[in-house]
Parts: sequence; structure tokens; C-alpha cells
Amino acid sequence: MSNNASTMAAPSGLVNTVFLAGIAGAVISVVLVLASLMGEGHASFNTTSDGVVWGLPISNYLFFVIMSTGLTFVAAFGMVFGIKEFYPVAKRCVWLALATLLAGFASLAFELGHPFRMLWALPTSFQIYSPMNWMGVLYGAELVFIVWKMQKLNAGDWDSGVSKKLGMASFVAAILAVAMLGSVFGMMAMRPYWFGGMIPMYFLLSALLCGVALTVLISYIAYGFERNSMPPAMQDLFKGTTSTLYASIPVVFGTVIGITLVALTLRTATGLWSHQDGFQAFNWMVASPWFTIEAIALLAAFVMMMNPGMRAGQGAQIGAAVLVLVAMFIDRYLFVIGGQVVPVFKGAWVSGFVDYTPSLTEWMLVVMSISLCLAIYAFGEKKLRLTDAPSS
Amino acid sequence: MAKWGMVIDLDKCTGCTACTTACGMENNRLPGENWQDVLFYQEGEFPSGTMKWFPRPCMHCENASCVEVCPTRATYKDPEGGLVLIDWNKCIGCKYCMIACPYGVRFYTDEKAPIQPDVKQVFKGDGKRSWNPPWRAPENRDDWKHGVGVQPNGVVSKCTFCYHRITKAPKGTPDLDPNNPALREFTPACVVTCAPTARFFGDLDNPNSEVSKMIANQRGVRLRDHTGNKPQVYYLTGGAGGAIPTDRRDKKS
Repeated sequence: MSNNASTMAAPSGLVNTVFLAGIAGAVISVVLVLASLMGEGHASFNTTSDGVVWGLPISNYLFFVIMSTGLTFVAAFGMVFGIKEFYPVAKRCVWLALATLLAGFASLAFELGHPFRMLWALPTSFQIYSPMNWMGVLYGAELVFIVWKMQKLNAGDWDSGVSKKLGMASFVAAILAVAMLGSVFGMMAMRPYWFGGMIPMYFLLSALLCGVALTVLISYIAYGFERNSMPPAMQDLFKGTTSTLYASIPVVFGTVIGITLVALTLRTATGLWSHQDGFQAFNWMVASPWFTIEAIALLAAFVMMMNPGMRAGQGAQIGAAVLVLVAMFIDRYLFVIGGQVVPVFKGAWVSGFVDYTPSLTEWMLVVMSISLCLAIYAFGEKKLRLTDAPSS
Repeated sequence: MAKWGMVIDLDKCTGCTACTTACGMENNRLPGENWQDVLFYQEGEFPSGTMKWFPRPCMHCENASCVEVCPTRATYKDPEGGLVLIDWNKCIGCKYCMIACPYGVRFYTDEKAPIQPDVKQVFKGDGKRSWNPPWRAPENRDDWKHGVGVQPNGVVSKCTFCYHRITKAPKGTPDLDPNNPALREFTPACVVTCAPTARFFGDLDNPNSEVSKMIANQRGVRLRDHTGNKPQVYYLTGGAGGAIPTDRRDKKS
């Protein structure tokens, strides 16, 4: 089974457009960010020592690296668990996992005070008690495994011993990395909005949701939003006409949206119900118009995937994917900022919540990450035969 | 080894902020980014509302959460004096310590000036320092390994308990009393300058030190002790002057 069954012709013209748009967006945003940072330094961000310390660049980082884990999950359906129906999207997911990981790292690099110092200070100091240290180690491992696995896949090696082990290693590293990222927040007992051992679980769940959503959106982009252009096996995966009921995009997507909605609802209800100091952040969250948008977007996506007449439709799937990605970007923002809107100490005499609105430079980092992700993806689509799948 | 700690008598503190000024001059602090802050707040409502104040240095906690979260060990517990210090050579500016500190006493200077005009633009930095005040201490007093000097860009800073002063004190000194001419120059600037003598500094591990006796005899309390951080700053309070803030609010806003 080690040979390829590359099925399709060259990628659609849309991919070329995506590539050019990605390159243009990345160049423009990086130039603007560099100009701001060289001119004003991090004063071009709207973060402050006595207010929001981690702002939009951090939530943007979370959005992308957590999505990377989710894409590794989708790839693992086929490559680790042997659910062959997912083979048509496996290689694309591996490449997308790499693209999203790099997009997230780029956002973090511009946010750190000394990103280059990190490269030597992290491994030489190695604070074992710091979740952030372990997060770095695990995401570094995930990056290495994904690159290595991609190299194997590109050489047509889907099922050698090494290739299988790399798939497994990527999957495990991705789980541990996102769980540790959750712990970066979940271990902060002084910030009740974040605190709790279930935060890593929520990150894992929402990682899968984001991974499936991006898989859907990019798969359609790869074929110019023409599902009929997809290979038959891939069409079955998206239409839900596979021989195995659960092995289809509509079922997986709808299920994960539903479970995420339950988790989000229960977390919100618990926070609103509790009177413990610090939980006021949940009031801030639900009062935010962004939360309303997130809730409506997730509910709409859920309805689309639950409706038997809609879930197999191309338009509904693309719409649901976009809605989910927008909702989860907001979710990461509300999560990161919400943990800081009630000051850990000054709150006794601070009336209301801490104000924070991202600056243009911070938004440019978002544009940079999206553009980088799209450019890297489109490069892979053009050069790396992401449509490849094992022949059996 | 000493375990340096501070006692602040809130009944004596008048909220004059001389400590803030002394610290700012001693440690080249930017206006508004006060390592030694006095926080003013209101308790109660008109017509019975009162203004309270609360002096707040770094607590130099025994179980410092900022130390444990720092991925590069830039924030560390000094084995000699029990201080929590920052090595500016290793800090990567991730700001995780600022997230983890329950007391909000850490500062990342590379941000918008909290008070205008921005003095960093008046006394511009030289690449090494984030700004260059003409009254700064001599260059040979800079000690980045212990977070002493003008804060460079891209790193986090905090109160050092005037590390550069107290480490020159004779070994075994139980208290650094500014009224003792032989010890005055080794005493933290905020303690030296405190006009109502509300601040005391000494070895918490020495049962004969004045600070240990005050904590024992006057029931010194620690701020937000439920966090388990075990601050090395204790407060004495009878409610006559400054006060330890109560919980933020019972009801959600």
C-alpha cells in the first residue's frame, strides 16, 4: 500500500489566487508590523502592565496552534486509526497543520520581548515547573514530527514502519502540546476565569472543531468550490455517503460542534452562577457583542449540520466551516482577554472591568497569520500534491 | 542565610507616597510604573464613604508563582536573601510572570506610557536602556542579573527590595534600621524615606529581629494569603489609617 493513488489534476485557479493573496497579505502586514515595532516597540500594542498583559496576538497564537492540533487529529483518523474514508484529506491536513503552526508561531514571535533569546534561554534553563516551558518543548516536537511525516508522505511513504510511527508521534505530540497550552491558563489559580483542569480538555475539543472546519473550507478551496471536481472517495466523505456512517464530514463536524456548544454553555453557566471573586469576567464575556456573534455562529453551524436536508450540501458545509472558524477566533479572544479583565489585585477599587481594544499593529499580526497560513497552504497545494492518498 | 522581609504598619502609613518617589529615584522608575506603589481606593458610598490607601511593594513570596511559571528561570528565588529577582539577561518578555503574580507588581516597560508626557521620548534610551534619565545611578551599579539598573526594553521588572543596598549589609544583621547610621545606607530606599516610620525591614528567619517580633506580637497579616504564595511582606493594621482591601465586590457588576 505504499504507492500513491494521486487522483486529481492540477489545483484550481482559486489556489493561485489564494497563494498570491496570502503572499501579498503577509508582506504588507509584516512590513507594517516591523515599521511599528521598530518605531514604537511594543508600545504599538494596546497592552498594559496594569491591564491586559496578553492581548490579541496571544489569542491569535492560540487560534492557530490549537487549530494545528485539530488538523493533526483529522489526519490521524486515516493515518493512525486506519479510517480509510479520511485518506483523501490526510496529506492536506498534515500540511495545513504545519501551515497553521508556523502562522501561530509567527504571531508569538512578534509578541515576545526577546524571541531570539528564547531560542537559547528556553532549552538551557528548562524550568520543569513552567507549563509554558513544556508547551514550547511539545510544540517544538510536534513541528519536527509533522515536517518529518510530511517529507515521508511526499516521498510516497504512507505505511512504512517509520512513517506510521511518525504519524503516531505527531498525534501524541499534538495532544500533549495543546493540553499543555491549556495548562498555561488552567494552572493559574489566581485567575478563576481560566483556572481548572478541564481547560486543556476544552482546548482539545475545540482543536478538533477548528481542525475539521479548516479541513472543510480548504478542501473546497482546493477544488475551486466544486465538489464534483473532487475524487469520488473524497466526495463520499463530504456527502456522508461512505460505507461507514461515522466516517463522514457531516457527522463528525456536526457532532463536534454540538459537544463544543455543550461545553461552552456549561462553562458559561457555571461562571455566571458562581459568586467567587474573579468570575465577574463571565459577566463581561456574555455582555460582549462578540460573544453573541460567537454563540449565533456556532448555533447556526450546528443547525446546518444537524439538518438532514442541509448537512450534505456544499453551501451549508462551507458556511458552517466559516461560521465555526469565526466563532472560534472570537472564542480564543474572549478567553484570553476575559482572564485579565478583572484585575488580580487592583479590583477592589477599580470600578468595572479593564478596557482593552487591540491596536492596528495587533490586528496586523492577525492578518499576517492568516496570510502566512494561506500562502503556505497554497504553496503546498501547488507543489506538494496534497491530493495524494494511499491506493488502498 | 537571611530571609529578608518587610513589615508595613498601616496605622502609621499616611499615604504620602514618599516611598514611591524614593523608590522611583533609587531605581530609575518610569512615572506611573512604580515598583513601590501606594494605591488609593474608596470604601463605602456617600455620605459615609472613606478614602483608603494601601502601600504595595513586591511581596517577595516564599512560594512565588512568578518563579515557577518563568520558562527560562529568569525570575528566580535568590538563595542568599530569599528575594525574588529577575535576571534581565534571560528574560524573554513573555509576561507569564505578570499573569501569574497575584499582586500585580510587575512591569513591562515596553508599552504605552501610563503618564504623559512620555519621559522615554524626552530621555531616549541608548539601545541598552529603555530610557536614559540624567539622574540615573552610575553605570557600574547596573546589575542585570539581579534586575538592578534602568530597565532595558523587552523584559519585565519589579521591586528588588533594593538588592544593591541590602546585599552590602553586614552578615547576620537582624534588622536594617535606617535610624542606625551604620546601617542606613544598606536599608531599602522606601524604608529610609518613610517619614512616619511605617516601614521596617529585617530578617524573618531571625526570631530576635524586630520584624519577627512585630509580626508575632501585633499579628502581622499577609496579603491574599489564600493564594499560598506566602508573602514576605507583612502588614500591621488596626484600621485607623491605610487598610488591606476587602474582596472586590460581593455582587457582580
